[in-house]
Amino acid sequence: MADSTETAASTKRVVMLVGNAERLALIEQHPRAAMVSEDLPLRANLSVLENITVVLQFRTNTYIGEANDIAWNLLTLVDSTDCAQRRDPELSTEERFIAKLLRAVVLTPPVILIDRPALLLPDTNYPFFLNRTLLALAGKFEQCLILDYTWNAPLYNSRA
Amino acid sequence: MQAWLTRRGQGFADWLNAWARVFSFTGVALIGALSPSTYNKATRQVVQKQIYFTAWQILPGFALFSALFSVLIIEIVGRNANAYGLYAYALELIVRVLVLEILPLMTALFVALRTGAAINTEVALMQIQNELGALERIGIDPFRLELLPRVVGGTISVLALTAVNIVIALVLARIMIIDLNPWSLPPGEFARVIGKVLDLPAIGVLWVKTFAFGLAVTVIPISEGLNTPKKLFYAPIAVLRGMVRLFFALMVIEFAALTALYV
Repeated sequence: MADSTETAASTKRVVMLVGNAERLALIEQHPRAAMVSEDLPLRANLSVLENITVVLQFRTNTYIGEANDIAWNLLTLVDSTDCAQRRDPELSTEERFIAKLLRAVVLTPPVILIDRPALLLPDTNYPFFLNRTLLALAGKFEQCLILDYTWNAPLYNSRA
Repeated sequence: MQAWLTRRGQGFADWLNAWARVFSFTGVALIGALSPSTYNKATRQVVQKQIYFTAWQILPGFALFSALFSVLIIEIVGRNANAYGLYAYALELIVRVLVLEILPLMTALFVALRTGAAINTEVALMQIQNELGALERIGIDPFRLELLPRVVGGTISVLALTAVNIVIALVLARIMIIDLNPWSLPPGEFARVIGKVLDLPAIGVLWVKTFAFGLAVTVIPISEGLNTPKKLFYAPIAVLRGMVRLFFALMVIEFAALTALYV
């Protein structure tokens, strides 16, 4: 573990892994965790907003108007309303990550797993980006586990 | 020779398996469609979207095409019947050929080409890109959200489009065969012929056949899409197989309906 921050209601923990087997085992330990992963794509023919609202509509039978309001508020929190109406192929890697994260966060899950952020955010200083985004969403989840490999550990210590 | 037989046998087994998957998915879809617990705000929205894209969006253009096609067939049948002195049978022939056979099959083929191909491609890509797995991981049943609403919406669309086309064809037949040719047929002939041709068994076969068309144009593409291996280059192969299987199924349904009605 290289980094751990705590806000009012949400904690973030970076779990450093030595290999893929350890990663898979950790994911298996959290079968009910909401996951953000390269392996779990957005629905390509739905917009970012719809990708978030569909979770609310299906899981909690929420009215479309109410679900839209909730999703829009989440997008506002992370300053990403610009991409609300765009679909997956039209998104930048950061916007795609935000959409996946909000889809995971929308039902206020106890645990979120962010799987291999380097794969999700290849062109971004992702430790800084993750920190800023998760702080903006403080209170929307209880615990966030970031699964990363040990060779990326120095990135979390950089001041950039 | 043995290798050839093994290959043929394997091919036949694959073909049988594909049909078994289609029938199995049809059974599950029918049970799911009749179960009230299937439906929530998300699934109802997908059903509405499917009906919009399959039926409502194309309604004006397709109704116009169907009307022009009907006018052509009615004119050909009317003229030829008149030339042979068989004008009294023209209306019955039109209802039997156009209303009971051509229009339902034409509607099903149109929806198969437009919506069936789109559904097949979309489900194949969803399968290849693991979008269905992603939905499952976030607690959404992809069968209830993505697959079943397409079956329900597609089937309702085929039934609705067929009904609209039949009404248009009957109105045009009445106008062209009777109203534009007064004194050619006795009064009340239209109602008598409609009552004679569209009796209970004929109507029953017509709607069972149309329902089967509706199921086929959605269930077969979905079943084929779901069976796509997770490699992008398999997408066109999945669509090709789905469309060929769908065409074959539509012909078999039509053949079965003709046999039930006339043999």
